[in-house]
Amino acid sequence: MANTHNRSLELEVTVISGEDLRINDRPIKNNAFVTVKADSGGSLSSLQDSTKPDVQSESYPYWDEKLHVDLPAGSRYVVVEVCRRSSAAVDKLVGTAWIPVSDFVGDYTPENYLHFLSYRLRDAQGQRNGIVNISVRVITSSYKGTAASSSSSSSPSVPKFGIPVDREKTGGTVTGMPVWYPNQWKS
Amino acid sequence: MGSCFSDVRGGQQAVGGTRQGPIGGGGGGGNNGGHNDAVDHFFRARGQPALFSQIELSLSASKLRDLDIMSKSDPMAVVYLRKTDGKLEELGRTEVISNSLDPAWIEKISLAYQFETVQHLIFHVYDVDTKYHNLPVKTLKLKDQDFLGEASCVLSEIVTKQSRSLTLSLHNKNLQVGLRNLGTLTIHAEESVASRTAVEITFRCSHLENKDIFSKSDPFLRISRVVESGGSLPICKTEVINNNLNPTWRPLCLSMQQFGSKENPLVIECFDFNTSGNHALIGKLQKSIADLEKLHKERNGANFTITASHHGHEKVLRSQLFVDQFLEKQQYSFLDYISSGFELNFMVAVDFTASNGNPRNPDSLHYMDPSGRYNPYQQAIMEVGEVIQFYDSDRRFTAWGFGGRTYDGTVSHCFNLNGSQDGYEVEGVEGIMAAYAGALHNVSLAGPTLFGQVINRAAQVAGHSLSHNHSKYYVLLIITDGVLTDQQETIDALVRASDLPLSILIVGVGGADFTQMEKLDADNGIRLESSTGRVATRDIVQFVPMREVHRGSISVVQALLEELPGQFLTYMRARDIKPRAQMPL
Repeated sequence: MANTHNRSLELEVTVISGEDLRINDRPIKNNAFVTVKADSGGSLSSLQDSTKPDVQSESYPYWDEKLHVDLPAGSRYVVVEVCRRSSAAVDKLVGTAWIPVSDFVGDYTPENYLHFLSYRLRDAQGQRNGIVNISVRVITSSYKGTAASSSSSSSPSVPKFGIPVDREKTGGTVTGMPVWYPNQWKS
Repeated sequence: MGSCFSDVRGGQQAVGGTRQGPIGGGGGGGNNGGHNDAVDHFFRARGQPALFSQIELSLSASKLRDLDIMSKSDPMAVVYLRKTDGKLEELGRTEVISNSLDPAWIEKISLAYQFETVQHLIFHVYDVDTKYHNLPVKTLKLKDQDFLGEASCVLSEIVTKQSRSLTLSLHNKNLQVGLRNLGTLTIHAEESVASRTAVEITFRCSHLENKDIFSKSDPFLRISRVVESGGSLPICKTEVINNNLNPTWRPLCLSMQQFGSKENPLVIECFDFNTSGNHALIGKLQKSIADLEKLHKERNGANFTITASHHGHEKVLRSQLFVDQFLEKQQYSFLDYISSGFELNFMVAVDFTASNGNPRNPDSLHYMDPSGRYNPYQQAIMEVGEVIQFYDSDRRFTAWGFGGRTYDGTVSHCFNLNGSQDGYEVEGVEGIMAAYAGALHNVSLAGPTLFGQVINRAAQVAGHSLSHNHSKYYVLLIITDGVLTDQQETIDALVRASDLPLSILIVGVGGADFTQMEKLDADNGIRLESSTGRVATRDIVQFVPMREVHRGSISVVQALLEELPGQFLTYMRARDIKPRAQMPL
């Protein structure tokens, strides 16, 4: 289960590149851009950020752009949307990746670890459509309570460093159980 | 191995020259910033390592025996490599220094540092008689000289030290402790400058010919190195750019180890990508790195040529190659990290499933032969352990078993091989062997073959170590006789572990069909995908069946180790982690 943490997080997400992006099964021509936001909905500007479109590259775009996204307490996913900007018409959705917060929070690594992550994108029909490569780092965490564990197996808390913490330690490390999506995609 | 471009997705990605990001930086997904299968296969088949570091040894000695009556000894040193068959291969000799019992020789001896083997070095010091002094050192017959002493060590012992120096006591050939002190020999190892030099080049082409019928060409470049035998050997290729006759590719990063020297001629070919794998050659040209640098400075283009079909003449094309960016840089080498204190931590997981056969039965893969001959498990542990042990300062290794029924009657998929409750570590390779032998008595074989728990545990250990420092890199060796039953769970565990300082080596023993295991080793460019849609950040798995026949002087298992330094460097460079002692590059 995704880790339901009780604190808000500030994320630094570097959107690096995309691979094999298509619309209607044809490689896109140019102008792909990425929006990263928290799953708890809303279009508050602090809750989402977008890259510039990559004008030059086609279906293998390269952005290498840093975005800042706030993750409110209780968020379970970070949503990464790849779209193609069209000058004539409305932006077209290429694909979306739902990134469980547990993939970069509460796993085996220290809190400010730089995570390099890659995800399969799914288009609006749920079909596989390319890969997006990002890196994520948690910047600060304002503590609002203890980290609740929603996993059945627990292990001793990971020693944290660099952040003076004044809380009781409950065994709260998620040991990487597969995450269940709201809708289970078929491959 | 087949063509390097045999699958579309993998084929479209850059190979061999991408920037050292974990994801290749330039659309080169599972390619680790390094390896082109065809290249590796070519080198390995000829017994040569693919990527290695050139080392130069400088020798000096002190308090040598004085054998001459009127003056002091005139010493010369000879360096040998002891091969697996015990024979000595001479690597080189120093010059003769007159009249000195504390010589510091100037002549250096070169050799290639190979991470994946244990390189035994033997040093002999001779006193050369005056009548030979003006002859070239190579021509001297050693049996005519006076023997002063011998020393031996393993190359890894020298290069892992911060000082990169080792001092050894000289002894007699038969290791008899002589009455007199024979003195000491000091060996200092230095990597050649080439191991740290790299160039980053941005290529652009203009006026490429159109090879496609309904659209434009999909061009990519392949760069090969000319070899002495006259052929050329691919070292890297760019990514494919769709539908463009004037493409600019992402920067290629080439290390000097790949291109040899700046003057070495390189063949640059431009192909039109075809999903069939039959790429059409648009044109080619030959330039060295120095030539490319010149093209960049002068902002000139170089014309491609193509062999005209009828006459065999080279036809000069309108298509041109430009070097938009050329950046020479120094990067830290693997040994830079190791000698500054970075370590490789070895972990072993042994298969205790019933398919191995009852250990008391001579047919069992776990049978301990009273003659002392190693079973496949012992062999794999030794071959990997004896190489890696030099890179771990405290020699405490992790040893697990999986698929066995332990003392409490339950089957465990990750139990401590030493039978202890809380500690999974043992001392030295001999400690692993002892724990293994003990476990064969105390654990009964069960099943099924599941890797997920062991991988998760290893990932946990690697991840926790990051809280303390970033200088430990973990190597997990899984030795198994059987085919996985939890393929998806294993893939999930591997994907989660791919972003950690961890590499996984899997050795298959026995006669099972391991095709399914080869899918875990993403050498074909297809990145592993977990059940949650996450894709592996790096290719951290190497798999080899032990029964594979291997030409060349290293074993199949040791060939697995070849990729480790590359995987280590990819991890460190992607995070901009530098060696501790900040020596200037």
